[in-house]
Amino acid sequence: MKPVLLIAVNFVREQRWPILVLLLWVLLLAFQGLMTELPREREDLLFIFKQVAVYVVVFSVFFGGSAIYNERRSRRILAVLAKDVARHQYLSGLVIGVTMACGLYCFTLGLTGSWTLGPSGFQIRDVWLLMVCLAAASALAGTVALMFSTFLNPFFAAGGTAVVLLLPAVLERTVNRNLGIIVPAWELTATVVKSSFDSPVQISWTPILLALIETVLFWLMSTWIFKRVDIAVAVE
Amino acid sequence: MSLALEFHQISKEYRNFPGRRLRALDDFSLQVEKGEIFGFLGPNGAGKSTAIHLAMGFMLPSHGNGRLLGEPFGHAKTRRRVGFLAENVALYHRRAQRLVQFYAALNGMHGAELEKRSVEVLDAVGLLEHASRNVGKFSRGMLQRVGLAQALVNDPELLILDEPTSALDPLARVSIRELLLRAREQGKTIFLSSHLLSEVELICDRVAVLHRGKLVRLGRTADLLHSADQTEISARGISANLFLGATTENGFVRFAVPTSSQRAAIEKVWAAGGEVVRLNPMRRSLEQVFLEVTSSQEAPTKVGEL
Repeated sequence: MKPVLLIAVNFVREQRWPILVLLLWVLLLAFQGLMTELPREREDLLFIFKQVAVYVVVFSVFFGGSAIYNERRSRRILAVLAKDVARHQYLSGLVIGVTMACGLYCFTLGLTGSWTLGPSGFQIRDVWLLMVCLAAASALAGTVALMFSTFLNPFFAAGGTAVVLLLPAVLERTVNRNLGIIVPAWELTATVVKSSFDSPVQISWTPILLALIETVLFWLMSTWIFKRVDIAVAVE
Repeated sequence: MSLALEFHQISKEYRNFPGRRLRALDDFSLQVEKGEIFGFLGPNGAGKSTAIHLAMGFMLPSHGNGRLLGEPFGHAKTRRRVGFLAENVALYHRRAQRLVQFYAALNGMHGAELEKRSVEVLDAVGLLEHASRNVGKFSRGMLQRVGLAQALVNDPELLILDEPTSALDPLARVSIRELLLRAREQGKTIFLSSHLLSEVELICDRVAVLHRGKLVRLGRTADLLHSADQTEISARGISANLFLGATTENGFVRFAVPTSSQRAAIEKVWAAGGEVVRLNPMRRSLEQVFLEVTSSQEAPTKVGEL
């Protein structure tokens, strides 16, 4: 377990500048939100909050899809995998690292959302429930991207992830409205998008649980693929 | 003798484009014994790094198999007993000591031992005074030395080094050479891939030359450097004109003759009233051996004791 955590923390450390920029962006928007005239502009405030919240899923795809590629391209992966680190441990470290990075974003957004939306009548409890939805969705999205990135470059990995995550939305609209939950990242993100001042947030724990189960399944698929690929290309 | 590293009929093919394949290693077999310094040579593109990456489990062979310290390639736990330095070393940008500790921790080291070993290895590679500097600001030579430190930190039984001294200045090169010789004295095995043939010649017990994915020479360094075809003779009391290409030095005439005509040459010296003072198999440099084997495409050849 120790190597996994070391790799996870190292991943966050290596991504510290993009993470810091994202957190500063959230804080900046929050300070701007604190200066708005409530309750007149509270709908705008919620709209910006939801928009910034949904981005975390995109960031998780970005982090997950580029993690292995960056490590391979820089050849830093060699020194890590030359140690007592199995490939599944390496991937676990990256999954946890991506989730930690997104979790940090969600936590900051939860805090700032509580400051800005709380006074305007949005339940603070609901803000944190939405953050749980987003954290689950981003863990799943990041792991799917990581799975694709074991054999595709980041651009195609992001495309593949988009197909997997958005397919349930298409199926929901065209085939059966219950199919949206197959890969629940869409469902969880939609929960955030649909939240409003008028109705309390209705959280179903099923998609959250399903997202966590699927995160594990996609991680297992990643390890199965990653064990079978060459991770180093000869310098010659 | 037990083996530290074993390649058994390994082939490795890369697929570049659909239908196009590049064979980096072709039916490659090699055994490295424990306690020796083994030189692994070959021109660029010979397949050296591929062989090393296969041994470390970074790649999977297309055919064949191999063992690292008795375990199949790719066995993670075995890598705890191995130190590896990649060509063009790439490390995270952290303070040197923290970085070495990070890699040591990945191998399960912790606590006081981790602290002690990180100081020891940084001292061994001459970087202790730079321990608190970020490696991102290091020169290439210093980076290579940190790479060596992270390879040594877990006190490995087997060191696999891909061009460990390529970016080092002569002084650092000497200290690394001494470090490797000390490691051998401690019973460690060193598998050294290098283009610096003079280095290899100085420290390696055995040498293998790889060319176009095939093993073309393998043997004890001393055996490879001695030419069985030519004999060098030193004589006195004769004229240098007696033998083609003879040179005079301090009153001694030196010349080389094919080993098959060595007896005739000695008799010729005696007949001229001279005296043979020394007769040695001709010694070549490793560079000559290397050029000889890589400029031809001969079948795998084994030289000397295997």
